[in-house]
Amino acid sequence: MTTLTHDPIDTASGHSHAHGPTGLMRWITTTNHKDIGTMYMIFSFIMFLSGGVMALTIRAELFQPGLQVVEPEFFNQLTTMHGLVMVFGAIMPAFVGFANWMVPLMIGASDMAFARMNNWSFWLLPPAAILLLGSFFVPGGATAAGWTLYAPLSVQMGMGMDLAIFAIHIMGISSIMGAINIVVTILNMRAPGMTMMKMPLFCWTWLITAYLLIAVMPVLAGAVTMILTDRHFGTSFFNAAGGGDPVMYQHIFWFFGHPEVYIMILPAFGIVSQIIPTFARKPLFGYASMVYATASIAILSFVVWAHHMFTTGMPAAGQLFFMYATMLIAVPTGVKVFNWVATMWRGSMTFESPMLWATGFIFVFTMGGFTGLICAIAPIDIQVQDTYYVVAHFHYVLVAGSLFALFAGAYYWLPKWTGHMPNEFLGKLHFWCSIVFFNITFFPMHFLGLAGMPRRIPDYALQFADFNALATIGAFGFGLSQLIFLVVVVKCVRGGEKAEAQSWEGAEGLEWTVPSPAPHHTFEDAPVFKG
Amino acid sequence: MSTDPRRAGFLATLRAVLWSFIGVRKRRDYHDDAASLDPRAIVVAGVLAGVVFVLVLVGVVNWVLP
Ligand code: HEM
Ligand SMILES: [Cu+2]
Repeated sequence: MTTLTHDPIDTASGHSHAHGPTGLMRWITTTNHKDIGTMYMIFSFIMFLSGGVMALTIRAELFQPGLQVVEPEFFNQLTTMHGLVMVFGAIMPAFVGFANWMVPLMIGASDMAFARMNNWSFWLLPPAAILLLGSFFVPGGATAAGWTLYAPLSVQMGMGMDLAIFAIHIMGISSIMGAINIVVTILNMRAPGMTMMKMPLFCWTWLITAYLLIAVMPVLAGAVTMILTDRHFGTSFFNAAGGGDPVMYQHIFWFFGHPEVYIMILPAFGIVSQIIPTFARKPLFGYASMVYATASIAILSFVVWAHHMFTTGMPAAGQLFFMYATMLIAVPTGVKVFNWVATMWRGSMTFESPMLWATGFIFVFTMGGFTGLICAIAPIDIQVQDTYYVVAHFHYVLVAGSLFALFAGAYYWLPKWTGHMPNEFLGKLHFWCSIVFFNITFFPMHFLGLAGMPRRIPDYALQFADFNALATIGAFGFGLSQLIFLVVVVKCVRGGEKAEAQSWEGAEGLEWTVPSPAPHHTFEDAPVFKG
Repeated sequence: MSTDPRRAGFLATLRAVLWSFIGVRKRRDYHDDAASLDPRAIVVAGVLAGVVFVLVLVGVVNWVLP
């Protein structure tokens, strides 16, 4: 580690002293982890709004039975692209943005290990997004095969499918490079005294997530490449007529797909595990168990993939195996929930916006965990597979899980990023609107699914009308509520109550030892961590 | 990075890994682990335990099926 002396940290102006290019070139050429983290987050918020517009169009169509707003073909493109954009464009890059900003600050490193590669990881994303979103405008439109891109549909689609495949390749490369960077940074650049087992839990969850990414992104790349060669180069991996097997696609996809859902939730666990102790003013209950549970979730997540395939025709032995395995993996997940609750137990709690979001997360995410367990029971899943019940399940874990945790983290670290406290009133308003509208949108979907309404359809039978109307009203409320967040962030960047270095009373960790906003360069001399 | 890390045996490593599958660990045991376990051994034990987990489940499945 270098011991170069450096300019004194410029805190007075609250502004960083970037060396090198200014203006647009500063952002294009930057190798600074904070700049790159910021760009990741802005990018993901733009993608979040784009995916949100697609979702609202879907809900507008589903407001009433019959076809009113869009053509069925376009509807299918919307459901597909909504999923792809939210998963690969919004949630995953947002977490990478958090990692970029916070991991070096939390472990006392001056930057990420491979600063130039970091720039490249980010700048791959906008071209991928352009390919993906641009595919709406090519002949035949965007891919409509569902975000899971199942063969044989994905082999038959128009050129929008090819664009999606290339976009996934590029985003996959970006993720892998980002993951390598995070692993190397965490393993090699911790400040003296920061042993692995003293690391903030957010770093642990990201370390494990990064390994998952490195393990499964190539699997996804392989799957979509096989689709590509089936489409254009005469192979028949997934074409039964040529000796292939479309079900094999599902196996490959879900071997990626299930670890992928943990990629989207483990960093969320990390964020929540930072926030709860701060606002309960108690150390995290069972830190070690949390680390162990995260690691075992990661390992076991590789052996449950076929719970997505109970209806594809599987021997009873297979169904039982994947059912048991899935139910057992819920144990370490449940332990985490207990640990958070135990951390709060008898703490002196206050509910500023970050804590509100974090507690909201625990409450609603747990409901998603339970519906997951219900889906895991093979005989039940055969009823609810491909119905709105599954849609409800994964929105409880992804929106109320991953997204709520992202908001919790954003409110928590905004003071560190901008130097100003986020507006409490707006933060609370954002939370209450979100959690109420979220439940109005997605809770009725459980009933719709149990009553047999299939997912990914533009029209439905009359008996589903009321719950669908309700869900649509909720969805528009939820979508509009997210604009509050935009206002909070803009206000926070512009001004507001000045944030202290330690912005929250109970906050602990190296990131709170540097001034707020964090200067452009931090920890050029490694701090000594005594924890 | 303690000065004299006493290396834990295979069984201790395996025990830590098995506890991790449930996700619970006593604070004192964990401190012992942190001082004595070799990360590489943990990875090996973890993968092994994962394989055993799969085999046990396969066994159970075959046992409950007629
Ligand atoms: C207690 C833990 C969980 C269990 C037992 C569980 C179980 C399941 C099962 C059995 C399915 C298949 C349902 C079907 O297609 O019929 C499913 C679908 C899904 N789960 Fe979970 N899940 C859990 C947690 C999560 C988490 C944490 C996430 C993401 C953050 C997630 C995301 C998804 C997604 C996206 C799908 C649907 C994929 C699709 O078909 O498009 N799940 N889950
Ligand atoms: Cu799964």
